[in-house]
Amino acid sequence: MDCIVTIEIGTGAIRVAAFDLEGVIIGSVKGSYPTFHSKPGYSEQDPEQIFITMLYMLKNFLNEKIHPKNHTVVSICFSSAMHSVLAISKTGVPLGNAIVWSDNRAKKEADDLKHSDFGKSLYQMTGTPIHAMSPLNKIAWIKNNNKEWFDAAYKFLSIKTYIIQQLTGEYVVDYSVASATGLLNIHSLQWEDLALQHAGINKSQLAEAVPVFYAPKKLKRQYQTSLGLPENVKLLVGSSDGCMATLGAGVWGDEKATVTMEESGAVRVVGKEVLQDKQQRLFNYVLSDGYYVSGGPTNNVGAAFEWYAKQFGDFKKVFDLEDCIEDLLIEAGRVPAGSEGLIFLPYLQGERAPIWNANARGAYFGLNIKHEQRHFIRATIEGILFAFYNIGKTLEEHRSFTSLSANGTYAAYPLWTQMMADMFNKPVLVKQNSGPDSVACGAFLVSATEMGLYKDLEQAAQKVKLAENFQPNAQHHEIYMKLFAIFERLSTKLFDEFEAIADLQQNT
Amino acid sequence: MNQYFLRKECKELHAFPHIIEFAFKKISTIQFGSLTKAAHDFLRIYYVADGRFDWMIDNQHYILYPGDLALILPGQSFGGEKDLLDIGTVAWLHLGLQQLEPTGKMIMGKWSRLSDSECRSIGQILVLNNCPVLSKLKEAGTLMQHIQQEFAQQEIGYTTRINQLIEELFIVVARQLTRQNTSRRDFPQTFMKLEQTLRERLSHQWTVEEMAALVGLGNTAFSEKVKSYTGFSPLNYLINIRISEAIKLLKRPDVHVTDIALDVGFYSSQHFATTFKKLTGYTPSEFRKKNTTTPE
Repeated sequence: MDCIVTIEIGTGAIRVAAFDLEGVIIGSVKGSYPTFHSKPGYSEQDPEQIFITMLYMLKNFLNEKIHPKNHTVVSICFSSAMHSVLAISKTGVPLGNAIVWSDNRAKKEADDLKHSDFGKSLYQMTGTPIHAMSPLNKIAWIKNNNKEWFDAAYKFLSIKTYIIQQLTGEYVVDYSVASATGLLNIHSLQWEDLALQHAGINKSQLAEAVPVFYAPKKLKRQYQTSLGLPENVKLLVGSSDGCMATLGAGVWGDEKATVTMEESGAVRVVGKEVLQDKQQRLFNYVLSDGYYVSGGPTNNVGAAFEWYAKQFGDFKKVFDLEDCIEDLLIEAGRVPAGSEGLIFLPYLQGERAPIWNANARGAYFGLNIKHEQRHFIRATIEGILFAFYNIGKTLEEHRSFTSLSANGTYAAYPLWTQMMADMFNKPVLVKQNSGPDSVACGAFLVSATEMGLYKDLEQAAQKVKLAENFQPNAQHHEIYMKLFAIFERLSTKLFDEFEAIADLQQNT
Repeated sequence: MNQYFLRKECKELHAFPHIIEFAFKKISTIQFGSLTKAAHDFLRIYYVADGRFDWMIDNQHYILYPGDLALILPGQSFGGEKDLLDIGTVAWLHLGLQQLEPTGKMIMGKWSRLSDSECRSIGQILVLNNCPVLSKLKEAGTLMQHIQQEFAQQEIGYTTRINQLIEELFIVVARQLTRQNTSRRDFPQTFMKLEQTLRERLSHQWTVEEMAALVGLGNTAFSEKVKSYTGFSPLNYLINIRISEAIKLLKRPDVHVTDIALDVGFYSSQHFATTFKKLTGYTPSEFRKKNTTTPE
């Protein structure tokens, strides 16, 4: 039987999955790698370790789940996290580790650029909010702070580009990942000269930008042999994890939005137009020719909830976070919607959309003598989800949607998805628990479309089945809107206090 | 509490060549020079039963309160901040170990019944630990008291009992060290620390038992936890780091392949070549050739 393999190069792990041509999952594996923080604000990953983890997982997966059953791999599709930067030497050797999206060293570069007229026009051209996350500012940081590194860099790649180059010898980057660099003109799909100039590089120092369906000529013979793959297997460059999650959640056109709830999260819509937000609050990434994924990211989802669980949860067994979280969710379910007036600002790691304030910090607000620990648990979840609602509300200034499709680890908790439905006052759809994750599913759809199994990505997206449906509760919605008004005001009103406390924390 | 003090010359210690000094003392007057800073080639354990002690350990200042224990490794300097013992009650044990290398290789000596692998794991924990003060370790105080009683009463079997109590002290200290150094709640963070340790000492022939001990878990629980968190068994995770580091070195033309193999922890260049080829399809030398020339 023919099958399609998907490889996700995620923030902390490689995920390999295989599907039959009907889209039924055959199996999946995960292999993780560390993020190094050599200095506060720095986040780096080792490209060689990512490559080896990918090879190891892929090889074992093929040997255990695919080859013994005589499945034939006809297509492999990649996806990856956005915003990574890896400098390589003239001989293709990495110059140190890759800088990943969460790295904040380019904060000053970003702040200086953001409010200038030049920054505003760059945002219009590239669709990427001016932020320390984007390769535009990261490369500018290297130029301004480490001349030796900058001068030795023959090219600046994304991690996925490096992995694909190792396998095939070609330096390519798909439009999706390229459009998240802040260096690609998303209207013309060409590297933007003004952005390149600002970063101090030329076009030849970047990989060639190609459509998501592009397949490099061939897999190197050694890897064909060691992986046991046919000579004519197609390797598709694929897209970014965000775009794939959106496609894989069946979101297409005006009616739907998707929410991804992992460590961090995002709300996204798909459309033919770039959303030009005057306050630069939204991103616009290219999904395929003429289609854009627009939305906003939040920093504090699983990261904030796990923080709460680790600090205040009851660990009956050492390291058993899952069990602890289950207990917390039961407790949270016993508290009425709105946590009887307790509000949590979830900005433990600063926030991106829509407030874009790296100095924002967390707070519990409205505490009175009757609040118990379980109110804190529920308020923590509600605060995290208010941040999603805040992004959704910003998106709706540009485009309306009538339902949401939720994915990611926390979409599997009914309490979370129900709250989400109540806040948005819109139905929230979730895939069945046993199904593949949305990123892998999106990558499958890209491969299947490339093979001609679907007419185009739009038809492919319609094929995604969402089984579970959470209907909003109007009474809860009303309570949430009253609290959200306060949440929203606190998030902006505390600006000066956020500055002061972040400054104080940085200097202690 | 009676004053109790034994040193090498005392006949009570004749049956214990490994014990250099043992004391359980109440200090009621300050004597200058009663605890001068010095480094020795034996291991020292100090337990505070009462009072407040100002100590310098390995050039760092610590204040110890009742229930706290200080662990001073061979070669580390230790003494009172003002070179004296403060007022209070303190118990100590100076112990000669047959071997404790900076790599963590530890041999207790003939008197001990701890197995080789247990000794290795405890040795790793002692050496890798960067906090010489363990807080709230009342258990250690009880053990010290029992040791003192056994010495004082010398009932039948007391030599065996004392050696057992010292072993138990080591176990209690090692366990407390891992508890103190890992949160017990945050596996990702704990694993990150372990991974850093593995990278820093990649040439060491790590066993699963040693790794599990550093995290403070049993072998089975540790392996399960690592597998579900990383997707790898502990030893395969280690191989993964070894190959990643080897790739970096192979891309630098100035390091010999055999040296790379040993540096990253393969026991021979043959073992390295086989593992490398199995994963990448290239032998290390082929891989080097492909990756040190200009592409395209």
